[in-house]
Amino acid sequence: MEETILKRWSRELTVAGAIVLFLLPLIGIPGKTYMTLTIAGLAMGMLLFLVASGVSVIFGLMDVLNFAHGALFAWGAYVGFTVFGYLMKWVEADSVLQNFAAFSLAIVAAMVVVSLVGIVLEKVVVRRVYGSHLFQILITFGATIVLVELIRVFWGPNDEVMTVPLTFSRSWDIMDIIINRYRIICIVVGLVVYSVIQLILKKTKLGMIVRAGVEDRDMVQAMGHNIFLLFTGVFAAGAALAALGGLTMSLFSLQVYPDMGGTYLLFAFIVVIIGGLGSVTGSLVGALIVGLTYNYVAYLVPWAAAGANIMIMIIILLIRPTGLFPVGK
Amino acid sequence: MAEATPVQIFHMEEKRRQYRSGGFFLKVGLLALFVLVPFLFPSFKTVDLAMQIIIFATLVASFDILLGYTGILSFGHGMFFGIGAYCVAFLVGKYGTPSYANLTLGFVIAALVASVLALVISFLSLRVKAIFFAMITLALAELAIVLATKLSGFTGGEDGISLNMPGVLAVSFNAGNFLGLEITGRILTYYFILLACLGLFLAMLRFTHSPLGRVLQAIRDNVERAEALGYKTFVFQAISITFGCVVAALVGGLYGMWVGYVNPESCLGVLSIMLAILLMCIIGGMGTLYGGIVGAAFFMITETFLPDLQHLAKDFFPSAVLLHNVLERWHLVLGVLFILVVIFFPKGIIGSVREFIDRRK
Repeated sequence: MEETILKRWSRELTVAGAIVLFLLPLIGIPGKTYMTLTIAGLAMGMLLFLVASGVSVIFGLMDVLNFAHGALFAWGAYVGFTVFGYLMKWVEADSVLQNFAAFSLAIVAAMVVVSLVGIVLEKVVVRRVYGSHLFQILITFGATIVLVELIRVFWGPNDEVMTVPLTFSRSWDIMDIIINRYRIICIVVGLVVYSVIQLILKKTKLGMIVRAGVEDRDMVQAMGHNIFLLFTGVFAAGAALAALGGLTMSLFSLQVYPDMGGTYLLFAFIVVIIGGLGSVTGSLVGALIVGLTYNYVAYLVPWAAAGANIMIMIIILLIRPTGLFPVGK
Repeated sequence: MAEATPVQIFHMEEKRRQYRSGGFFLKVGLLALFVLVPFLFPSFKTVDLAMQIIIFATLVASFDILLGYTGILSFGHGMFFGIGAYCVAFLVGKYGTPSYANLTLGFVIAALVASVLALVISFLSLRVKAIFFAMITLALAELAIVLATKLSGFTGGEDGISLNMPGVLAVSFNAGNFLGLEITGRILTYYFILLACLGLFLAMLRFTHSPLGRVLQAIRDNVERAEALGYKTFVFQAISITFGCVVAALVGGLYGMWVGYVNPESCLGVLSIMLAILLMCIIGGMGTLYGGIVGAAFFMITETFLPDLQHLAKDFFPSAVLLHNVLERWHLVLGVLFILVVIFFPKGIIGSVREFIDRRK
């Protein structure tokens, strides 16, 4: 009897539990700071979602765990940095329109360049090791070394300061709660990307093939679709998402450096383990959990911030080893 | 006793042949070389180089037990190495006086901590998929660096800890002259570590050639089949991981003894230590144990002589810009080499050479 009630209300119970957990930090944090932290956490979560969704979908469809995703992320940040360098006038102008134009151009350039890098990476390197997890990790790790070294060759080994477009860096003041504009932009970008991915996956034929490929690769091939072309496309799309994540994240942390990919790849791994490998919604939920936790804990107990997410990951692994939104295989 | 069965005769034959083969003499010769290094080349640089090769060869061999013999990729091997170094450093550096008892206790604690941690990680990750192991160990390795840096009251932070060796192993110890060599504490430490590494290496050889090692290789090649044959794959994988990680921690302690200080960058770093281990293991040849020696020698010798090589190239070929650039960007070359080896020679140098010799026969 008890079990049926739990089952019938499982969705509502989950939502209620999530809300309680979400409000729990209010005990230790004053209301206004809580709002600021929540917005920062949501923004960070959305950026992590951009990185993690690529890792997750690539794994779901191609069964490849892409360790080079962090390097692609750094490449995106550096390409955006270069574009900003050329458009410095627009970046520093006190005009929303010009700022936005520079931002969009940087995003387009970063996504195009990095997806090209991704295509080369998939065609030349990753394609040779389909089917063996161990060799995939090794070879994408090798690709990371090469890509990061190439960043040092092209852009130099030092940290560079990233300039945020002038109007983006200001804040709104709503009822004494300071809201940084760029954080809102991050949240909007994340939501737009999530909706676009869901629309493509759920409403188009291409998306249907990709979803079918996640479920059963051989069957899709048997139906006459060129799965390898699909692989290259998804890999390029994942690389483009990593580039978008890298650019937006570098504007968030105000710097670019060659090894930046490693740190965020780690966050992406934690996110996909929490959310479940292969699930886009899982990535979003996982990323928001990680982003919010990181910000709350960093405020309450600064030194424990890095460990808190790993603790959550371990707890999730203990209760649900396949993550919150497991994809049937 | 009854007459020997054909199988027993075959085994005896093989054992007899083992001590006459070229490979056996090569191994003995290599060991003799390492024993004689302080006499032949007493300069600090060469002895240090030989010691680094020995230590990293043993470390890579312990990594190979996980990667080559069990098929599990760990990014936390550097972390276990660092844990070992820190445990020994705590006992004879920060919280204890240098004495033999404390040194031994340091190694015991290192082994205990490493085995408990390795078991916990195995239980967490192997339940799902073996690839989770790579992700979780990477996360924990990063966490370990953060902890070692942030908890500076306990670990000494960025500055690290200095170690002091007891008795005959102390730097100040000097037993006089022997065959033209000053027998100092450093030299005795060298031989102590050489002996310890040899012991660990033999233990690993025994481990991989035991029936348990065979089961591990069966699991690596085909998990489903091994399971169908009735082996509890999880248990075997956990044993192998624990063994490899304990050896890594012990080697870490030895490394701490040799360099005399530990800090997060040199002992725990994913990008410094872990990258080196992975490159050495893949280039040398995984699944061979001996690959570690070749990989470590290649990596350490190029690292040590790279600046000299760069100067040489500038002196002798001042116009060869390409050569200069290649030497300047040595890691790029290593990365490309790594990818090429994984694609074309997945067995590494040792494996490919063995294959070549077998084909010649």
